[in-house]
Amino acid sequence: MNKYNPPRMNPSSLRSRFATRFLRTLSKINAQKPTSSSSPTEIFRRYRRIKAAADKSMAYSVRSRRTWSRAMLWKLRTRPCGRRSVKTSTIIKSREARKTRHEKQNKNTTTTTTTTTGEDGVVFGVEADELRELVPGGEAMDLYNLLDETAHYIKCLTTQVQVMKKIADFYSP
Amino acid sequence: MLHRLESLESCTYDRMDMTVLERQAARFKWQQQNYVVQNNNPVELCASSVPQFQGLVGSNLGSGQMVELKRLEVFLGTDNFQEFMNFPVTGPEFGDSEKLDLLPPEAAADYCISRTSSCQMTALDTAVMKEEREDMILEKMESTIGSGRGSFNKRKAETVADHKSKDKKIKGEGESEVKTKCSTEISRNSSKENSKASEVQKPDYIHVRARRGQATDSHSLAERARREKLSKKMKCLQDLVPGCNKITGKAGMLDEIINYVQSLQRQVEFLSMKIAALNSSVENLPMKEFPAYVANFPAAAKLPEMAGLPCFQLNPLQKESVNCMLNETMHPPQTEGIASASVSISEQSLSSSSMTQLQPFSTWSWNMDPQDTVPGNGIISTLQEGIQYQMPLFTFLQDIFQ
Repeated sequence: MNKYNPPRMNPSSLRSRFATRFLRTLSKINAQKPTSSSSPTEIFRRYRRIKAAADKSMAYSVRSRRTWSRAMLWKLRTRPCGRRSVKTSTIIKSREARKTRHEKQNKNTTTTTTTTTGEDGVVFGVEADELRELVPGGEAMDLYNLLDETAHYIKCLTTQVQVMKKIADFYSP
Repeated sequence: MLHRLESLESCTYDRMDMTVLERQAARFKWQQQNYVVQNNNPVELCASSVPQFQGLVGSNLGSGQMVELKRLEVFLGTDNFQEFMNFPVTGPEFGDSEKLDLLPPEAAADYCISRTSSCQMTALDTAVMKEEREDMILEKMESTIGSGRGSFNKRKAETVADHKSKDKKIKGEGESEVKTKCSTEISRNSSKENSKASEVQKPDYIHVRARRGQATDSHSLAERARREKLSKKMKCLQDLVPGCNKITGKAGMLDEIINYVQSLQRQVEFLSMKIAALNSSVENLPMKEFPAYVANFPAAAKLPEMAGLPCFQLNPLQKESVNCMLNETMHPPQTEGIASASVSISEQSLSSSSMTQLQPFSTWSWNMDPQDTVPGNGIISTLQEGIQYQMPLFTFLQDIFQ
């Protein structure tokens, strides 16, 4: 057989990091429920888990270098899960309360900044709010940082979509 | 300083009975005296700038600037400009000509006033004469001659007198010579000017370009810098979002970005749903090949983080093995049994990303043997064949992943 040196995929690229993490999690999910029924609820549950796994693996690949990844990780960690005990749920509630308070404060500061920055704040008022809702952790950012985070978030989302597309193609018969 | 000019005027007018020549000589003498003190006292520059201006006219006014001056003529009206033009003409003949209108003294006084103000500024004096007329006129001169307005205001804070600023000094003096009384034209005309930018030099600050016809206070400059940053960011986003080249305007761009982010998020959701659905139907078929591939794939050992990938490198092989199995008439229950056995193996292999090559393979083969020899052999043979196919498959998958 002819052997040729294949072009090595960069092991530290965002794509490979995400792919390996996601595949690992995916296999865990598959392994945990070997005899999965094809009921819609089951599928839906798997979907939720897979989606969370995708988001989590993407956020971990970015490694809290970005505000949106930090916010996403925080959200995933404090996501209400059925298995959590009462004690942890109270902790989660308090954390959430603190977070909302913090976010409110940030919102106040950001709203003041956006209003004082003149025409840009006025022009981008509605769209900026929409963007803030879309990008995780976007509530506490001014417009410039928001655009920065959006750019990186778009890049990571495209990577995620590409990898998941390939995985789905592999899985499909 | 003003009173000095007034004194000049008064002295000239008091000696109205003197001959013109005597008047000229007295003035010249006075100017010469002031010229000496020029470097020491910037206030005294008023008259000394006349020879400076003459020098300026002689040396610095190139064709371009002459064009500017002519343009100035258009804006300012011709009268004062004529005087201005005449002034240097009469300058060299100062001591010689016998005729001297009364107008030039006035003009000279006016020019002196403007010159002093400009000289004050050019002498980097922070105490600026804030005669509104002069400011506007100076700005107008700026705009017409070609240096940015910002440079004038910023010069007040300048402490560095390098060559460029010197040129601007001289320019400023030249500009001030063309003094007009029509201040209303300035605001109108400034907007029509070309957007020639001038560099502002601040020793400790960020260099900012103030374009012509734009406000130059610090707030607006900061605002402009921020706006430029934002527009740069928007351009980067435009490159990321496909199909945004046609859209101009920030609002449209932002809408497009929002739509794109939403579509990407929806795609992720859809794909995860698809994977979930596919997983439920496929069950653990890919899991079978995990240990084999992990065992047989030496490259995986080198790149531990690629341990997850081998499971998907199996797929072409998986299909092959499935075909083999089907050919060997292996029925699903057996495969399920194999699947259940392999699950534990796959767990082991996945948890340990390092290579324990032979062990899982042996257990796998051991599991296979009791089932059925022919299919097992078939599978093993296909796996053995798979060993040979490792590298191309890996590259194939690499390509797909890339």
